[in-house]
Amino acid sequence: MNIYVINGPNINLLGTREPEIYGKETLKSISKKCIDQGLKDGHDVKFMQSNYEGEIVEWIQNAITEKVDAIVINAAAYTHTSIAIHDALKSYSGFKIELHISNPHLRETFRHVSYISSAVDAIVAGLGPDGYSHVIELLADLQKHYKQKK
Amino acid sequence: MKNNKLLIMNGPGLSDLSNYNERGYGHLTLDIVQKKCAETCKIFGLKMDFRQTDDEAELSRFLKDGIEDFDALIINPAGYSHVSSVDYTIYSSAIKTITRQNKPVIEVHISNIFQQDVENTKPIQVPKCEVGFVSGLGIHSYDLAIRAVNKKLRKN
Repeated sequence: MNIYVINGPNINLLGTREPEIYGKETLKSISKKCIDQGLKDGHDVKFMQSNYEGEIVEWIQNAITEKVDAIVINAAAYTHTSIAIHDALKSYSGFKIELHISNPHLRETFRHVSYISSAVDAIVAGLGPDGYSHVIELLADLQKHYKQKK
Repeated sequence: MKNNKLLIMNGPGLSDLSNYNERGYGHLTLDIVQKKCAETCKIFGLKMDFRQTDDEAELSRFLKDGIEDFDALIINPAGYSHVSSVDYTIYSSAIKTITRQNKPVIEVHISNIFQQDVENTKPIQVPKCEVGFVSGLGIHSYDLAIRAVNKKLRKN
């Protein structure tokens, strides 16, 4: 499978940004684990991060043209604001999972609204940085389940 | 890690999964879910107690009094506490107690609850507690939760 793992704003600061919420693990370390897990299972994982909303929209559009099998997206703060990312995800017909390191629903009320959740197949949140590799590990099975759904 | 035992609790309405089958999550029964959970637990050498109840009071009581025997909780609250603020209060206080004991808690849902046209469908909010959330992966929601719990228990 070809898999895009897309990360939104401030995720490049992982490890130093509010470690009590997001943990001490850096984005580089998470990226390596995802790619390694993918290699183990025969997936090609592209791990990306951007602080720019438009760039994230373009990556999702690329996933459509490149016929990428699955998108795992942690849109970070754009989760709660971006109709543009919602629309782009709606146009993508592969398997898509919204992921968060913490559980936004247990935090400030402005994080309780997600424009992403209604545009994806599934949501995984609050499992810490390990959430990424758990999702990659299960993706082959998940895609089968998704095909049943279609 | 004391006895490697998970409580997998299923709330009101989950005895009958036929409405999920129409929504494309494959043919599901609670027995099939239980069997899959048992298989995944076995891989990691975990024990589990898989329960379902339609009785909210019974569910709360078990969360409060029964949790002592378990190291982690995976809960599909289903219809639980979407209507009653009393039940919500009991539920959130039970979850707070469990997370304070450093026991991992993960809320799971078979479907993506944000895609449903059902009013009042939302995650059960227990502020400032560490509760994981997995929704929309069908039977794999449980699978992912068990894997995450296993990893957490091995770190503690």
